[in-house]
Amino acid sequence: MAIQGIDFAKLSLKDALDLAILIEDEAQERYEDFASQMEQHRTPEAARFFRYMVENEAKHGRELSSRRLQLFGDAPRSVTPSMIFDIEAPDFDAARAFMTPRMAMEAALASEVKAHAFFVSALPALQDLEVRALFEELRDEEIEHQHLVKIELAKLPPDSRLSEEDFVDEPAPQ
Amino acid sequence: MSATGTCEYQPKDYKSDLKPIWCPGCGDFSVVQGIYRALAAVGRPPHEIAFVSGIGCSSRIPGYTTAYGFNSVHGRSLPIAQGIKMANPDLLVLAAGGDGDGFSIGGGHIAHLIRRNMDITYIVMDNQIYGLTKGQLSPTSQKGRVTCTSRFGSLEEPVNPLLYVLAYGAGFVAQASPTDLVGMAAVIEEAIRYPGFAFVNIQSPCVTYGEEGQQIKGLKAISESLSALGHNPADRLAAMDLAQHYGSKMHLGVFYRNPEPPPTYGDLVKERQALLSKDALPKERILDLFIKK
Repeated sequence: MAIQGIDFAKLSLKDALDLAILIEDEAQERYEDFASQMEQHRTPEAARFFRYMVENEAKHGRELSSRRLQLFGDAPRSVTPSMIFDIEAPDFDAARAFMTPRMAMEAALASEVKAHAFFVSALPALQDLEVRALFEELRDEEIEHQHLVKIELAKLPPDSRLSEEDFVDEPAPQ
Repeated sequence: MSATGTCEYQPKDYKSDLKPIWCPGCGDFSVVQGIYRALAAVGRPPHEIAFVSGIGCSSRIPGYTTAYGFNSVHGRSLPIAQGIKMANPDLLVLAAGGDGDGFSIGGGHIAHLIRRNMDITYIVMDNQIYGLTKGQLSPTSQKGRVTCTSRFGSLEEPVNPLLYVLAYGAGFVAQASPTDLVGMAAVIEEAIRYPGFAFVNIQSPCVTYGEEGQQIKGLKAISESLSALGHNPADRLAAMDLAQHYGSKMHLGVFYRNPEPPPTYGDLVKERQALLSKDALPKERILDLFIKK
């Protein structure tokens, strides 16, 4: 999780909204990648869950974008995708071949926890009251998302006793 | 398009429609993201970029970009990249591959691109194993490593890629890792901007055949930022000293950047061409050179 070149003390509401949109975009893209990885590796249940997360992130992105449009029209953006890394997107190594839906949901839950930690850590530096209110709202949303993933997790039957190690090739003499 | 009328590229502009087929969790997923970000920061349009690779998991990478790509022959990415650069010097030329491709099969080529100072950025995704062929020893595998070709442990010392290129006199040497994507993109960008041969070693874990200590968690535990250490990238000897820790520590950032880059091979060739062209025969009389009068 990293941010580069953003001074939170000077963050305007427009930039904060753009940053939040980028965070959702990054997460959406990562879930899309994970879903296609799972489809390629014949893990349809995890792929389905990741597609569901793609939709979720896209929905949040759209909501933020319409708010941004309403408030600031098409004013140019000064924050760029290169300034952020893994704020809400799951870690690259969170995907595994043959991961179970439980593992997929746990990866998503870890990402929601990570995003929450990001908004909490940024709050003390914020000066603008509107930006602070937005970050508090986003922080609380992350709690809500964690709750939703936990509900889905609770619905799952217990995992089989097989682990990913059972599907990994061991070195064999050649 | 920016307000000034210039094109501004986004990382997604360099992402092709081809879906990577690496194992889920592979470090190369983040390397390709780092490359997209670096290319967007440099801002050259995809059609002005040529991306050459050898053979291996990581050598699939040109296909995942919108640049011109050539997934070539094992170990031969650098000579091909050199040919492309000489034929069309205006192209931004990148080469990439794994540690086996670069330091075993293609090991002999690196020295020559360095001594010529070819203006090429070479990215090695170093996972210390031959992953595509199911886990054989590679030139950077640690001594004692057990694989299918070393059932009782490797007897060989690993190649140190950083010291290797520094010793040959590379003008730009850096290391990055998927543990820090922002840092990785910055290092690749700096390598691309360096006028000459630039080498970036990326410790990219193999999730299928790599050892536990070489996974993201293990790499994080041994990583140390060179800038936080106060390392001066203009100091080549200090860079060599730090590079000796390859395998036990993972220093991230720029080891060495020649503060006074020498002319590139391309510059020298242009100069030579300019010098000789005044005495050169016009194209239509070129056969006169070979035909006795």
